[in-house]
Amino acid sequence: MRKLEPLTSFFAVSVILLGIGIYGLTTKRNALRILFSIELIYNAANLNIIAFARLRDPPIVAGQVLVLFTIALAAMEASVGLAIIMLVSRLNVDIDLRKLTRLKG
Amino acid sequence: MLDPVSQIIQVVTSTYFLEIVLFPGLTSIAILGAFFTWFERKLTARVQLRIGPLYSSPVGGILQGFADIIKLLFKELIIPEGADRFFFIMSPVTALIIGAALLGLIPFAPGIQIANVEVGLPAFLAIVTLSPTLVLLAGWSANSKFPFIGGLRALFQQTAYEIPLWLSALGVVMITGTLSLTGIVQYQQNNGWLIIPQGLGAVLFIVTSTAEMERLPFDLPEAESEIMMGWQAEYPGPLFMLVQGPAFIKLYAFAALFSTLYLGGYLGPAIIPPIVWFFAKTIVIIVAIMLFRSTFPRVRLDQLLRQGWTTLLTLSIVNIVIAYFIVVGVPAI
Amino acid sequence: MTDLTFLALATVTVASAILALEARDLVYGAAALGITFLGMAGLFFLLDASYVATFQIAVYIGAVVVLILFTVMLVGPQMGEPPMELKRLSLLTALLVSLLLGTAGSLTSATAFPGPDDCGFGCDLIGLSKTLINQYGVPLEFLSLVLAAAVIGALTLAKADRKG
Repeated sequence: MRKLEPLTSFFAVSVILLGIGIYGLTTKRNALRILFSIELIYNAANLNIIAFARLRDPPIVAGQVLVLFTIALAAMEASVGLAIIMLVSRLNVDIDLRKLTRLKG
Repeated sequence: MLDPVSQIIQVVTSTYFLEIVLFPGLTSIAILGAFFTWFERKLTARVQLRIGPLYSSPVGGILQGFADIIKLLFKELIIPEGADRFFFIMSPVTALIIGAALLGLIPFAPGIQIANVEVGLPAFLAIVTLSPTLVLLAGWSANSKFPFIGGLRALFQQTAYEIPLWLSALGVVMITGTLSLTGIVQYQQNNGWLIIPQGLGAVLFIVTSTAEMERLPFDLPEAESEIMMGWQAEYPGPLFMLVQGPAFIKLYAFAALFSTLYLGGYLGPAIIPPIVWFFAKTIVIIVAIMLFRSTFPRVRLDQLLRQGWTTLLTLSIVNIVIAYFIVVGVPAI
Repeated sequence: MTDLTFLALATVTVASAILALEARDLVYGAAALGITFLGMAGLFFLLDASYVATFQIAVYIGAVVVLILFTVMLVGPQMGEPPMELKRLSLLTALLVSLLLGTAGSLTSATAFPGPDDCGFGCDLIGLSKTLINQYGVPLEFLSLVLAAAVIGALTLAKADRKG
């Protein structure tokens, strides 16, 4: 069998992606960039779950099941979020999130 | 760590590498792609009582595909001003890579398969879902109205037909109980070709894959007479070849997948080697799909989308119910 | 020396993630995000989660990237970067969070998770499907309801736009 990477390597990649995601989430003003960051955070979490479930002793399959659910939910949330962004951009031209502070109008 | 030079030599001379580069990999895909170009034009011509390509070689114009490639290579490369160069060039190249990746998953003969993944069928279909993205990018990057509308239409069409494609292949999975393509072929070795219990599924698969490949009668996004070649309109000489190539490679890949799923792949009496059986079945399917092109009129886009989302989806679910009863047995109601 | 495949995949993933956020044009950002997802699928394949990897390719790259590209093309280019102080603070926040989590992770993961090379039941495809249907059947049904709700919600949003 192939020798697997230690857990620290996968965990490091996951944490780096999480850091990039948080940086994007707090820094960017464009709503679409924030959506990118949210997707990156989702992916980091998924990688983490699968790495921990696989490199456990003994490996369990529940990690993969959980990730199947989270991938579906993340895709669904992204589509609804994109629909909202598209609508907002039609009502007022700017999608700068610091100006979108009201719920109506 | 090994000496890099000896490691490289070890990789290059291994059979795996030869499999990828020569057969059934890149070189054979390129040659067969050019061959299928000629084959389609000749077949369509003969069906429509024309002659078709004739002058490229002594044997009925069989080298027409290669002649086209040489001609297109000498044409001038004009990229429209304001077009996004990166995506304009990268989209057809990536589509070629995807086509080659599709063919890497299919078992050509008992030993010859580039990637024997245990999730072969979902991997094939998942790579197919990458093509709407590329068509959208290609249509958008030309910075012109006709290509963008064509790209959007192609996106709608290919996305609409992905679900019936997955669902009609699902019937096969339910009966064989395995997701890997070698496993499906081995099931058919023991239990007969799957086209008999899954006749409806086979018909659905051929129809949805023709729609997914954007061939006639479903080729509105690239229709010459209506939208000026759609998303391919702005592609000059050599890039046009890069755009037409993936169409034929996808045809080859889908026909190969159909023959693997429903016609038993490389199975057949041992008089003829398995690889010949595989190609015979694939060419039969390719001829069938090409005959669709020469005989059916074009379907309008809204009819297409409506049929895709309603009729084909319903029939795929009916197919799944039929597969359920085949697996479980009718008294299980 | 660590595994070359893992190193290559990890580098591609992280590099395209940074590119996705920092690219000037949003379409390039969306394409870079697609490459990030592809790298993630490769990492899943390395972890013997082959079905999850194909699911990731089909759902994320096949659907989410298409949706994002669609929205980017219809919304149009939007600019805007915050002033420098805010950026420095956010970078510091991200670094701090990553450092915290990294320390916690490496403290726990060194010995508690040795990682057997041979996976057995934990990566078996049939085991996965049996667990999914038997143990997690009810959440699966709820997931389909949630997806249906999302579709209805998105359709309502589209209709509301057309009326008003």
